[in-house]
Amino acid sequence: MNDNNTIEEKIRKEKLKETTVSIDPHAAKPGPATIQMTDGVLIPKKGEKHIFTSWRLTFFGALALSAILLIFFPDPYRQIFTTCLRGLPVTFEVTIFSIIGAVIIGTFTGLGSVSKKRWLNMICGIYVELIRGIPLLVQLIFIYYAVGRFFHVEGLIAAIFSLSICFGAYMGEIVRAGIQAIPKGQMEAAIALGLSRSQAFRYIILPQTIKVILPAIGNEFISMLKDSSLVSVLSLEDILRCGRMYISRTFLSLETMLVVALIYLIITLVLSRLVGILEERLHKNG
Amino acid sequence: MAKIEIKDLSKDYTTPNGVLHAVKHANLTVNDGEVVVIIGPSGSGKSTLLRCVNALETATDGHILIDGVDITSPDTDIRQIREEVGMVFQSFNLFPHLTVLDNITLAPMKVKKMGKAEAEALAKDLLKRVGLSDKADVHPTQLSGGQQQRVAIARSLAMKPKAMLFDEPTSALDPEMIKEVLDVMTDLAKEGMTMLLVTHEMGFAKAAADKVIFMDNGEILEEGTPDKMFSHPENPRTIDFLNHIL
Repeated sequence: MNDNNTIEEKIRKEKLKETTVSIDPHAAKPGPATIQMTDGVLIPKKGEKHIFTSWRLTFFGALALSAILLIFFPDPYRQIFTTCLRGLPVTFEVTIFSIIGAVIIGTFTGLGSVSKKRWLNMICGIYVELIRGIPLLVQLIFIYYAVGRFFHVEGLIAAIFSLSICFGAYMGEIVRAGIQAIPKGQMEAAIALGLSRSQAFRYIILPQTIKVILPAIGNEFISMLKDSSLVSVLSLEDILRCGRMYISRTFLSLETMLVVALIYLIITLVLSRLVGILEERLHKNG
Repeated sequence: MAKIEIKDLSKDYTTPNGVLHAVKHANLTVNDGEVVVIIGPSGSGKSTLLRCVNALETATDGHILIDGVDITSPDTDIRQIREEVGMVFQSFNLFPHLTVLDNITLAPMKVKKMGKAEAEALAKDLLKRVGLSDKADVHPTQLSGGQQQRVAIARSLAMKPKAMLFDEPTSALDPEMIKEVLDVMTDLAKEGMTMLLVTHEMGFAKAAADKVIFMDNGEILEEGTPDKMFSHPENPRTIDFLNHIL
């Protein structure tokens, strides 16, 4: 009987506890859980003081692995490295000339898409949609054969031409966004002073746009460098193709592709770091 | 100098919710050398009316004549008009990538094909006039709001305009900087510049204006000398507006 009473008492107390709101100041606040979000650490800020950023780990890891392979396994890695690096000039050549071409095409496409002429907007819009809707590899091969059939040019030039056209569309979108990021008042002030629209673009809008889009162009350059490996299907001897030719001679497929990956990784990481520094500089200068 | 005539001007905007009549049948004349101030509550179409005068907005209906030239006519070279009518904006709109000096010399050099040396001499002269001789080589972002607006006025003056439009030139400024801008504007008015301005500075309107216009809901409801407008306004909405802000 007595036992029963104590048990009932206990249950009552438990229930009371459940329904009472705790006013204990040290109790954990029931507020909504926050999700901690940080900027991507892929492109590190120059001022970052930690030693173990993911960029550093990856970069020095890649360097260390290359060094280990070269020092402890000189056969066959030394030969693989020298063979693959023979493709470096072609990779850079294709990347640099294509990015120049893409910037030129992109500037016109960007200007065309913000133009007041409807038919120009339409042409630029169709170009961008067309390029965005077709895989890069398919475009590359298609343009390569199209250019080859009608103009009979060298493979390198055809590759640069096709990459420029492909990336020009993306670059056009970057330029358009950059132009639209400039406050409307800049254009108004310029034309209120008597400048023509084209003068206003040349002296007021474009110089400011360049500053805005420079980091984005840097990132496109990195993408271009990676995607330039696609030109290896056009029988251009870039890093990837040199590697594949080596495989066909020696059948060391895994080893060779490891080296190819390492080379691309190291170049890309260095470039992404440079873009990060550039971005920071531009920020500092207002 | 110039005479601005606005005749039966209307401006409509098409919005998703229907047509907005920003300016309805406005009639207004600014005589040569006159200073005309437009006042009124926000959203009353003051700025739109002003922006129509140098064709930053295209009027839906009606005519604007500057020295007898109809700027709403498609045959008129609007760039020619813009060279002759300066404009100062609420948000200054200086070019941030150029120095103060280059901000001022750009339009004379590119539009009027003035030589570099001549343009720079002109710019330095104008900077002296607005009291900023020492700021020629800095970038606009390093200047205070009041200084930026004075540079913007100098930039407009470099085109030697016949008339000047001011679109709320002091509304974006801290109170202590308003006076330095108003002083420059008062000097301009005294020199006989034809000025049409939208402002909330009633002190300036009283002191410098020849005529005050009250606008509400896109209509010009009342106009008169500052004395008449501020002491004996007639329209009930003018009375209401002035009671609220004075």
